[in-house]
Amino acid sequence: MLEEFKQVKVGIIPCNGEEIGEGTLTRFACRRVLDTLRPHDTVTICLPLFIAGDKGERNFAKAFPTITVDGCEKRCSQKSTERLSGRPKHAIVISELLKEHGLEPPQSRQALEEKDQAAVDLVAEEIARKVDEILEKG
Amino acid sequence: MNEEVMEVTYDKFTFRVRKDYWYHPEECWAKGSGGLVIVGVSDFLQKVVGDVAFLELPEAGAELTPGGEAGTMETIKTTVSLISPVGGTIQEVNGELDENPQLVNTDPYGAGWIFKVAPRNWEADRKGLLNAEAYFPKMEEKIKAEMAKK
Amino acid sequence: MAKKIVLLPCSGIGKAYGEIGRQAIYEAVGDHRPAEITTTCLAKLMIDDPEAKQLIHENIVITVDGCARDCARKNVETAGKKVDKALRVIEIFKDHRDLKPEGVLELGEPGFKLVHILAEKLGREIDCLERKEQ
Repeated sequence: MLEEFKQVKVGIIPCNGEEIGEGTLTRFACRRVLDTLRPHDTVTICLPLFIAGDKGERNFAKAFPTITVDGCEKRCSQKSTERLSGRPKHAIVISELLKEHGLEPPQSRQALEEKDQAAVDLVAEEIARKVDEILEKG
Repeated sequence: MNEEVMEVTYDKFTFRVRKDYWYHPEECWAKGSGGLVIVGVSDFLQKVVGDVAFLELPEAGAELTPGGEAGTMETIKTTVSLISPVGGTIQEVNGELDENPQLVNTDPYGAGWIFKVAPRNWEADRKGLLNAEAYFPKMEEKIKAEMAKK
Repeated sequence: MAKKIVLLPCSGIGKAYGEIGRQAIYEAVGDHRPAEITTTCLAKLMIDDPEAKQLIHENIVITVDGCARDCARKNVETAGKKVDKALRVIEIFKDHRDLKPEGVLELGEPGFKLVHILAEKLGREIDCLERKEQ
């Protein structure tokens, strides 16, 4: 009866980067997926906690598929995940994604503006699409 | 499998139940020890409510009734009423929790104990509690309900 | 050359504490002397980014962790640097229990009040550490 709640879920690992607006964008996009778009299919892995060695975060990332979401080409989340648990199923780099779609990155790292919502939507939808691919949903 | 603990993992969270403790439906536990009853909160509860910032507890000497309020526990998410699973007189409150309330999160069944009670009738009060085997499936139902809330 | 102050939040995305620490650091960096106070991405230390490592090793480091897990402090220490000061958001909350954030990222008015209080505390810690350096 409870087996349906032990289903495969996808771990979303945002970079949380402080230095640039894209780091802020990763946070909002990832929370949109976790809270609204795919709440029953996803779990967040907290990158600092993951790096610090938390067993829950590390065991989950080893046992279940993950998607890393990095703000820039340094790919901190992707590289950390590869080092600590294994290659993620998908690695999204927001700076590249925005460039592909002709969207400007956020100007502020402290707060997103109204015009940044299109970027949040884009990134969140991309993550959700990748979650569906992993879980083979329609 | 640990002989002292039953556990189950959902997502990245492992929920633990001490086999030798007794459990109240309001998610506190009780354990008889040297004539006293030690009381704390369950691993399930501390995971749901989040990091404990502070506790407001009755002082030693306060009288408790089984199922009655025995203080509050506050986290950044919520305020929880603590329920006493046993009637009696508080003998000792865990002073460590003043400086380190997060012990309730990191070690809810050990260093995170909350108070010790000299029970009026522990045998009678214990009949109203669940042993670990009876509590475990009820905990799993609550986990299911929490996950479905998202 | 005078040392910089490097502020590092845990920025944990699972709880409001992470966002509070992050916002307080942005306020401290913006309000004070931006040439002397800076931040960097904690995860850069994990990937051995040379600039990030040089920054923490050559300057004064204050970590702002959400809770007692102390992820920021631990990550910095794993990179070989002992932090000069470690703060926890939960300690600020203890003195302002009425200020419960409204969400994990959308902190709301009470959450931002906690941010301002923490930013002020950061300012005091910065002043104290700078005096010690002189």
